[in-house]
Order: sequence, then structure tokens, then C-alpha cells
Amino acid sequence: MTLAVEAIALVKRYRGKGGEVDAVRGIDLAIPTGSVFGFLGPNGAGKSTTVRMLTTLMTITAGSARVAGIDVAADPDAVRRRIGVALQEAGLDPRQTGRELLRLQCRLYGMSSAEAAERTEELLRLVELEDSADRNVKGYSGGMKRRLDLASALVHRPEVLFLDEPTTGLDPASRLTIWEEVRRINEQGTTVFLTTQYLEEADQLCDEVAIIDDGLIVRQGSPAALKDELARRRGDGSVPTLDDVFLDATGRSRARVAGDVQEVQA
Amino acid sequence: MSDTTVLGGRAVRESLRTPDALIPTIFIPLFFLVVNTGQVSKIFQADTTAFLQGQGYAAFQLPTSLLLAASFGSSALFLVEEIEGGYFDKLRAAPISRVSIVFGRLWSEGIKSLALTALMVLVALPFGVRVASGVAGFAVLLVLIALWAVVFSGFMQLIALKSRSAAATQAGGMAFFPLLFITPNFVPRDQLSRLMEIAASFNPVTYLMEAARSLVLDPTFQWAVLGKGFVVVALAMAVMVALTVRAINDYE
Ligand SMILES: Nc1ncnc2c1ncn2[C@@H]1O[C@H](COP(=O)(O)OP(=O)(O)OP(=O)(O)O)[C@@H](O)[C@H]1O
Ligand SMILES: [Mg+2]
Repeated sequence: MTLAVEAIALVKRYRGKGGEVDAVRGIDLAIPTGSVFGFLGPNGAGKSTTVRMLTTLMTITAGSARVAGIDVAADPDAVRRRIGVALQEAGLDPRQTGRELLRLQCRLYGMSSAEAAERTEELLRLVELEDSADRNVKGYSGGMKRRLDLASALVHRPEVLFLDEPTTGLDPASRLTIWEEVRRINEQGTTVFLTTQYLEEADQLCDEVAIIDDGLIVRQGSPAALKDELARRRGDGSVPTLDDVFLDATGRSRARVAGDVQEVQA
Repeated sequence: MSDTTVLGGRAVRESLRTPDALIPTIFIPLFFLVVNTGQVSKIFQADTTAFLQGQGYAAFQLPTSLLLAASFGSSALFLVEEIEGGYFDKLRAAPISRVSIVFGRLWSEGIKSLALTALMVLVALPFGVRVASGVAGFAVLLVLIALWAVVFSGFMQLIALKSRSAAATQAGGMAFFPLLFITPNFVPRDQLSRLMEIAASFNPVTYLMEAARSLVLDPTFQWAVLGKGFVVVALAMAVMVALTVRAINDYE
């Protein structure tokens, strides 16, 4: 079994004016090639930080990582050629049109002008943006921006695709479109690493998930295995959801969450 | 190199789509040209003022305005916007030389400055201003000013990379303001007060201004003056490039 992403004792320490923050505190990952991997965790858990290290955007403080078989720290350029990235804030240039943005992206991955034009049309069709392709990105809705961002991560048919919260802020229909897209991309052989706040999303899409809390991985396995494990531990015959696994793993029980809500209401 | 030109082409497009950023770059320098000339042209008349070499005072002021137009560094504001908006990270995740992300913008600043400078000289022609050194001199003038535009924008982009804040980048631009005015701006350097003359002599922009001015006023190339201007701009360029390469490689 080859691994698309492998991390060993990965650490990120931010040094800022307000002192040091250990955002990621030694995590191990082993994601098989061809799978969809879900990275879950509460806000501030270290998901984006991990993605930024794996995608060469940030230096690794300690430990090591390999993506598509290549050491991230040793040969970041080779990693960049093999990965596609859509970050949490869909970073798009507001002053270009969708078509221009995709063409530019194609050119940056070494395509000729003609190849870039062809691939751009293909991708616009794929994410259903043909009709708005000549409008400035500034005027796109949140869902359109996400789809364009996804398309721009796919220009070079990456081996590993990183999606940091690809569906946050989307309406249910747009979310389903992205899910379908992720499945289709994965069927074509691309390994997908996605972070999400939506546990149902992870349940639906992912072969395997990891839950990170405060910089440490607290659960890892297939959604079914994690649910089974919790059911066995509870032993009361109730059927847990991935939500329950998440709450259990991050030390937040339903009772406490309900209590918090009541306090707010009072 | 091709990444730089692809990204440069995009930066040119971005400038053309943002005329509100381009307009002040033309009108503020033209405003100063008109106002400054209007204030002192009675004192400095062509037939009684030796340093004008036969032209009106507007010809003496033109280089100041050209340098001012080249010192807006609007590319840095676009860059900071790109950093804040996240597109910068998208570009950093692409398999390109990271330096090309900022150098592409500089390339477009150079092109923009060539066009702006040519336009401003054309606007000045009906007011009797002539580039005395001729067509060749005009070409040299364009190159000199465009190089300065690249250097200036480069330093502004450096502030953008380091601060990642639009406010800081804008404030940083203000710090360069004295550079343009502690110069032999109204009269030649030897006619400044002693203190001002010393200060101006330490200011690199002085040598650019004198070089540009000699191209406008002198019928023949003043090699020594031009040489100093180009050496200064080349040195500043070298420092800017070195600092930029380091800043972009350390960025995370
Ligand atoms: N540039 C930075 N400098 C200092 N600390 C940072 C920086 N970026 C993130 N952090 C801190 O690191 C921790 C992890 O942040 P990260 O963005 O990785 O979390 P996340 O799991 O992606 O959260 P979210 O679900 O809110 O996106 C947080 O405590 C955050 O405040
Ligand atoms: Mg995040």
C-alpha cells in the first residue's frame, strides 16, 4: 500500500509577539493513495495549520511529512507540482474573470496558452461556471467562488488534493455539488485530504477520518469503526453518530453542550 | 522568467481595471507641475535664468513630476490586498519560483511607468517643454524613470510583504515622501542653502532628478550626470532585489 500523505511527529510552533503557540503538537498520519481522508476538529484545533504545512506554505517546526512520496521540507517544488490546494479562505483574485483566473493558473502549471484555454473550458463546464466565466470574480457568490477555487486546484490533475473546509458557508444544494465533485475526482484516482466542520460530510465522503483537538489527534479510523468503538464502550445499545464520536473525542458531551445552550438562553 | 511575464501580464490587466488607482498617479504630478511652475515662473524666466538653458520653468520642474508619478507604488497596495485576500497563498502553492510573484508586479510597474512618463511628456509639449537631448534622450529618460518606478515599488512591496497590512504599506509610502522633496526641486543644487545642499547630496533621488533634468535641458548628453543617476538607481535596485528575494523565501 502506498501512502499519499505520511506525517511523523509533525509539530508547528508559531512564534509571535504574544509568545509561542503550539498549534500542532506531534501528529502522525498515514493516508493511503486513492482514499478520501477527513480531518475533523473544533475551531483552532490545528486543521488549517496542518494543511499549510503539508502544502508547503509553512515551514515544519519538527517531525517530517511526505506527500505523494516526496519529503515536503526537502523538495517543496516537487510536492507543489503534484498537489492541488483550495484553502479555507477561497483565495481568488477579485479583479480577474473566472476564465482568466483559470487560464493563469494553467499557465503557472506549465501549460501552453492553447492547452490552458482548452483545460479552462473543461473545468468551467465541470464546475458549471460557463455562464459567469467572463464576469469579475468580485461579483461571484460564495458558492461560485468555492467552485472556482476547486476548479483552480484541479488544473493539473493533481495526485493529492487538499481542501480546507470546502463546504463551509454553502447552502445544502451547493454542498451536494461539491460532494459529487469530490467523489468524481476521487474516482479518477486523486487522493483527497479534506477538513470539515460537518460530520455528516465526513461520514458520507470519507474512507477514513482523524479528529484533532488542541493539536493532537484523539481518534483515527473509518467512520464505521469509530462509531462501533464508541457503541462498544457505551454498551447501552444506543447507536452513536459521528457527532457523538466527535463530542466524545473532544471532551464535549451532549449534556454539557445542552447545558451551555441553556445558560445562553437564561 | 515566463512565470514573471505571465504574472506581470495579469498585474497590467489589474491596473487597467482599476483606473481609480491610476488617475491620481497622473493628476497629482501634473497638478504639482502646474502649481509649482505658476508660483515661480515670473522669477525664473527663460531669458534671465541661466540654469533653464533657454526653456521655461516648466521644463525644469518636469523631472520632479515624472519622479513623483513613478513613486506611488500602487503595486504594493495590490500585493497587500492579495495577501489579505488569500490569493497570494494560492500563488505560493503553485510550482513557480516564488520570486516571480513579486517580480511579475515589478515588471508591470516598469511597463506602466514607461507609458505614464511618455504620456506626461506629451502633455507637457504644448506648454513649450522640450526634451532638449532629442529622441535618444527621451528614450533614456523613459528608461531612467521606469527603473526608479520599479525600485520604489519594490521597496513598497517589501513593506507589504513584511507588514501584510494595507495601513502599514500606505504609511510606509509616506516615509519615502521626504526623499522626493529634500532634493534640488526648485533650483539647482548649488543654489540651495548650505544645509539643504548637504541633505540633498545624501539623497539618492537627487542624482536621479539631476540626470532626468539634464536630459530635458541639455542638448548634449551629460555623461557624468547621467552616469551618477544610473549608478544610484542600479545600486538601489540591487539592494531591493536582495531584500525581496530574502523576504519572499522567508515568508510563511
Ligand atoms: N499565523 C499564526 N500565528 C499565531 N498563531 C496562529 C497562527 N495561525 C493559527 N494560529 C493558532 O494556531 C491554532 C490552530 O489554528 P488553525 O487555524 O490551524 O485551526 P483550525 O483547526 O483550522 O481552526 P478553524 O476550524 O477555526 O479553521 C489556533 O490556536 C490559532 O490561534
Ligand atoms: Mg481552519
